Amino acid sequence: MLVRDVMTTPAVAIDPDEPISDVTALLAQRGVRHFPVVENGRVVGIVSDRDVRTVGSDHPDARPGVRPSDPVRRIMHHPVWTAHPLDPIEDTAKFLRDHAIGAMPVVEDEDLIGIVSASDLLDALVRMTGVGQAASRFEVELANRPGALARLLTRLSELDANVVSVLTPYSDPDVVRFVLRVGTIDARHVADTLRASGFDVTWPPTQP
Amino acid sequence: MKPRVRFVYAPQLAAWRLGEDHPFKPERLDALKDLLERTGLLPDELVRAPDALPAGSLEAVHDPGYVEVVRAASHGKRLEEAYRHGLGTSDTPLSPGLHDAVTSVCAATWTAMNVVLSGEATRAAAFSGGLHHAMRDRASGFCVYNDLNVAIAHARSKGARVAYLDVDAHHGDGVQDAFYADADVLTVSLHESGRYLFPGTGYGSELGREAGRGWSVNVPLEPFTDDASFLEAFDLVVPAALEAFAPDVIVLQAGADAHALDPLADLQLSLQGMRAVYERVVGLADALCEGRLVVTGGGGYAAFHVPPRAWAHAWSAMTGAPLPERLPEAWRQRWRDVAGHDLPEFALDAPQDTLPESRRVAMTSHNRAVARRVLDVASPLWARRVGEEST
Repeated sequence: MLVRDVMTTPAVAIDPDEPISDVTALLAQRGVRHFPVVENGRVVGIVSDRDVRTVGSDHPDARPGVRPSDPVRRIMHHPVWTAHPLDPIEDTAKFLRDHAIGAMPVVEDEDLIGIVSASDLLDALVRMTGVGQAASRFEVELANRPGALARLLTRLSELDANVVSVLTPYSDPDVVRFVLRVGTIDARHVADTLRASGFDVTWPPTQP
Repeated sequence: MKPRVRFVYAPQLAAWRLGEDHPFKPERLDALKDLLERTGLLPDELVRAPDALPAGSLEAVHDPGYVEVVRAASHGKRLEEAYRHGLGTSDTPLSPGLHDAVTSVCAATWTAMNVVLSGEATRAAAFSGGLHHAMRDRASGFCVYNDLNVAIAHARSKGARVAYLDVDAHHGDGVQDAFYADADVLTVSLHESGRYLFPGTGYGSELGREAGRGWSVNVPLEPFTDDASFLEAFDLVVPAALEAFAPDVIVLQAGADAHALDPLADLQLSLQGMRAVYERVVGLADALCEGRLVVTGGGGYAAFHVPPRAWAHAWSAMTGAPLPERLPEAWRQRWRDVAGHDLPEFALDAPQDTLPESRRVAMTSHNRAVARRVLDVASPLWARRVGEEST
């Protein structure tokens, strides 16, 4: 999955000379938390809802002396990190966390084409798991060796069970844990069959 | 006055097969009917043949293209498209005659609803039905067409407000999904939590949307939930939801897979607990909508051991005729050969305590907290809706 698949587009851009009070109104209207600031067609900064809301307050993050009638330029963050539409989302997620930021403008050939936020990436996680589609959830621990996953999927295909999603939430040099969502109502039959074939099924739990 | 009841039945409802060794066994319907006949609970005049399903009934709740694909795939055509709609899997394999078979299941449940709406009877059962996982354009979890949605849509077309109550071990996702934004259909589902069990949905936070907000209610229960805890959760949530909604008719999906012996799910109900649920639902229908009640089957994969007895209790609660303590020997002999194992001697279960006490306490307290949370979140929505309607 790439940034272009999950970004919000088009982004609502604001001009650096707009008064901060206009952005306050936009925040309420659009229900988004970050606005790229664009001047002469180029992204020059970003403002968040927190930057705007603290203006004129005694919040410790508030810039002293800034008033709502001042231009956005006075509170925007710059320079600004941007994402490319073809960036893999996992790189983008790591970047947001490493830099403790909530969103990045998405820029292609210097043009602003969207914005990608932490919420967009959470939505992507939900899509990747397939949660909400009718399925049964399994956790299987496999040896961290070539062919281990292939053997598991072969066994599942022999049961005519369709795999909705495969995730790898944990791995160490010896063991990889896979979370699979499989389109079957008969999870216990699938789990029993896998266990009988020697697979270490840790979810669903066994009977007491 | 004795309640007027109907048992919707036709031989083909028990004669279709999803596949060799498939856990869903429609022939359990004949085992039920035979049990009711041998115990004197089903005189001929209460048996009602299904009407033909009116044209357009399937398409009212299913994508017309999906119906076409199911029809074609039942004749071996358009198989690649069928796979895209969840057919041709181990859960819902394709077979010749599939479309006709599942259409007749819809016709039976439609008839049960129509019998109640028209006043032919107050309570009607179609134990062949209850295929609650089927979606608008997708087969899922042994279900191809959603007979419940067909019947509820019929009731809606007559202006009736419908309360749908689902006590199958699995979340009633297909019915919830169809009426999620509908303020005139309440869906309440008590089921084993989606953390553990298919279809993985039915969390307490699923409450409906738009006009239907508050009218989808879910109580996800812990594995190994027993009679006492199930009934406690039921009593906390179900009467309050139904009273706030004020239905014209109640639909009970009485899936029998919440029983301890069911091989597909992990709830631990006994027939005593299930019987208590059926009696409560009959009482709620009497109190809230002049008795109007439609009951279907659903899951139940200890196919001959549990569903015939469970639904005999449901039928007994609907008719007021008691089920004998000991099951007829001739019934046990006849169906032992079909089942391939011995069948129980008694209509109720011997009491058993399989769960360690510490697990039982934890399960009970977890379920209580879940039910209270659902009530806390949903009841203000109910109060608001009821307030809006009266102004």
